[in-house]
Amino acid sequence: MKKFVAALAVSLALSSAANAAETIVVYSAGPKPLSGALAKAFEAKTGIQVKLFQSSAGKIMARYQAEKANPQADVMISASWGHAITLDKAGELLAYTSKNAKNVPASLKTGTYVAQGASALAIAYNTKSGLPAPHHWADLTKPVYKDQVTMPDPAKSGSALTLLEGLVAQNETQAWTLFSGLAANDMVIPGANKAALNPVLQGAKGVVFGAVDYIAIGLKAKGETLEIVHPSEGTVLAPRPIMIIKSTKHQDAAKKFVDFVLSDAGQTLVANRYILPARSDIQAKRPGYNDLTLIDFDYIAAANQAVKTKAKFAHIMGK
Amino acid sequence: MLRPALFLLSSSTLIVIVGFPVLAILLFAIFPHINELSLAAPLSALLPNLANEKLIEATFNSLRLALSVTLVAAIIAVPLAYMRARFPDRLGKICDAMFLIPFLIPPYIGSLAWMQLLQRNGFVEQILGFNLNTFLYSFSGMVTVMALHLFPLIYFTTASVFSVIGRKYGDVAKVFGGHTITVFWQINFPMALPALLSSGLIVFILTIEEFGTPEILGARFGFPVIVTSIHEKFSDWPIDLPGASVLSLILIIIAFVAYQGHQRLSKRFQTTIDNQSVEAKHPPLSPWAMVGVVVVFGGLFGIAVGLPLLTIAISSFMDTLSGGLAWDNLSLRTLRELFILDGDGWAAIMTSLTLAAFAAIFTVMIATVVVFTVVRLRIKGTGFLDFLSILPNSIPGMAVAVGLILTWNQSFWVVTPYNTPFILLLAYLCLMLPYPIRMISTALKQLPQSLDDAAYISGANDLTVILKILVPLLWPISLASGFIVFAISTRELVSSIMLAPPGVETVAVYVFHQFDQGSVNSGMAMSLVTIIISGGLLALGQRLKGAMK
Repeated sequence: MKKFVAALAVSLALSSAANAAETIVVYSAGPKPLSGALAKAFEAKTGIQVKLFQSSAGKIMARYQAEKANPQADVMISASWGHAITLDKAGELLAYTSKNAKNVPASLKTGTYVAQGASALAIAYNTKSGLPAPHHWADLTKPVYKDQVTMPDPAKSGSALTLLEGLVAQNETQAWTLFSGLAANDMVIPGANKAALNPVLQGAKGVVFGAVDYIAIGLKAKGETLEIVHPSEGTVLAPRPIMIIKSTKHQDAAKKFVDFVLSDAGQTLVANRYILPARSDIQAKRPGYNDLTLIDFDYIAAANQAVKTKAKFAHIMGK
Repeated sequence: MLRPALFLLSSSTLIVIVGFPVLAILLFAIFPHINELSLAAPLSALLPNLANEKLIEATFNSLRLALSVTLVAAIIAVPLAYMRARFPDRLGKICDAMFLIPFLIPPYIGSLAWMQLLQRNGFVEQILGFNLNTFLYSFSGMVTVMALHLFPLIYFTTASVFSVIGRKYGDVAKVFGGHTITVFWQINFPMALPALLSSGLIVFILTIEEFGTPEILGARFGFPVIVTSIHEKFSDWPIDLPGASVLSLILIIIAFVAYQGHQRLSKRFQTTIDNQSVEAKHPPLSPWAMVGVVVVFGGLFGIAVGLPLLTIAISSFMDTLSGGLAWDNLSLRTLRELFILDGDGWAAIMTSLTLAAFAAIFTVMIATVVVFTVVRLRIKGTGFLDFLSILPNSIPGMAVAVGLILTWNQSFWVVTPYNTPFILLLAYLCLMLPYPIRMISTALKQLPQSLDDAAYISGANDLTVILKILVPLLWPISLASGFIVFAISTRELVSSIMLAPPGVETVAVYVFHQFDQGSVNSGMAMSLVTIIISGGLLALGQRLKGAMK
């Protein structure tokens, strides 16, 4: 208890003197080991301290919004490209192009935000489920998968929304037919990404439609009986934007952090979590840019239609 | 002199702890840009959010769920509490301790455990060959899960009243030929009714506010409630904080109506026990009755506590989730990772325990002062304080967290708890105050005013009355409420996630990260460890309490 009180007192004292040493505040969406490792390596390299607030993408955005009267964050890393699009549109991001962003594909960088890495959306199935291996999105509408499929809710998962947007952009009619077929096949939409994956791991369901691939690959590496399929007709990337908030009082340090995340060392840390590194010249520990068929679509145009797209999806799913 | 000071003290404490964040939420609902300190576009968020046709369904669902859960919880709790009063002291204490455990299990984890147990290919099916998938993902399933989690609140409050009522009234009735059942319905039940209503109110409001279970189970059979709609505002892109505040208003209104209803009902059934007869012990139960009672308690304990806890324990020792129940899937990996590879686990447990202990001590102290002010002083305006004190229970933790950020993250404060661990303590005080306030005020209302009056006549002042008479008499219930606050605080999830200063983690935050990105099993392992540690501390507390007597 005494220790705690002392810690409280110290942290109070520190918070008022926080500006003494160069410190940046980073809000980051998971995975936690990655943001922790990035922060530590950055501190070791530059001597700049990182105060890390780590949560889910939705929570860091909610905290950022609530703090607007007295902004705290200097840099944010979200798991949803849409978050960056919104903030950019509102003029809340600092323009910066890192020198290390040269090898980041053009679709994954803008003048104000750039991808830290990306996940690809995939089909993940439990090999113990006794189901045939699916190869295409549409396979999951077949009777053999009836009552066996889950999907993350696009209203709760930014990556599931990106997949929905990508499939609709690729071929609208075909996409809605696909989702009607899935609905008819009793696909359930239990919540965000992990909520869709868990029943499959536990054997209550067999297949996830639209799994965040790096999470599934990581679990497979830990011994879960999961198999990950990237459909050959095309899938989408869900890039994870890193952005500097315009209100920052530590511009240079924030820029150095972005540089570091995009450096060889930073990108290797990203790759270690089975995330696709933003830079195409860094070796991925998973299917890379050349192994994936990617649906090329305009993220910003799709974002403008997002409300409509989600509503139509919810309608088809009977939600 | 002392009375205005007490009133001032309790109202200012409540206003700072509860009033400020709630006011911030109200303002946010009206002024959608208040987070930027701007009053622009007032009311613009109100109509579009209220016009949503799905809202009516969600509101109706919330009410239906809360009523059903309260009813089922009462049906489980009241007979138990009645039997409890007949127990030998020792056995009774053991039962009390056992029914504290559900508070230690986060509802979110509890629901996940039920899923793991009952769903298709769940533990039950792997062992016994059948599943209760259909029941689990249905309205009745959800009500059962929630009622099993919340009934102890009613049990504790009513059991303490049954034991205060003692036997005298029943004996008198029996002398005049009253049957046991008649005695229960005509005497004990009406006397316990205020306590039942008051704890029922908490269960009702907690159900309305509960997020985890409706999110996990309800999503599977299409059962949106207001809180899940609010959370969608937090998670759906783009984040809509004003919208969430508007929806929180509905919850505040429901809480207000429920509170008013509760006030009316309890006025109608106001009873006080004029003469405490704690000494009049019940005769020991006959061996057969004893066996019956133990079977009932044991069975219920097995279902409500044993099954989910066992599931959590087994999950903690599973190597992989897909491996299921198999000997070769047993491993200490998750537990090892928790404590050896990852120092964050321990740190999180220590933070949570410390915060919970402080929260328990402070809430009970504040509650004692507030309750005395509200119940005994009869100054105008105390009713408002009473209502204010239940508000945090009606608002989702996320919204409370937003309210706290809006309040304390302002540059005009010279010193602010924001971005220090104090903000977590403040959040816990805000969220936990309703428990001791409800429990202690129920008990205080049952204590006759004549007790105070006698003291006043003998020249005592308010302070002496509080310290010398009320505190000793209310001590057991205060301690019980402190235990509950401690238990619930050790696992508080939502506000901790939003408010934890950078670098600080509580148990729930740790578990959340495990669920979000890592494995369910390590989250379960962390919960298990926390349940064991805080359960151990609670047991120790109970022993101390016994020793002090």
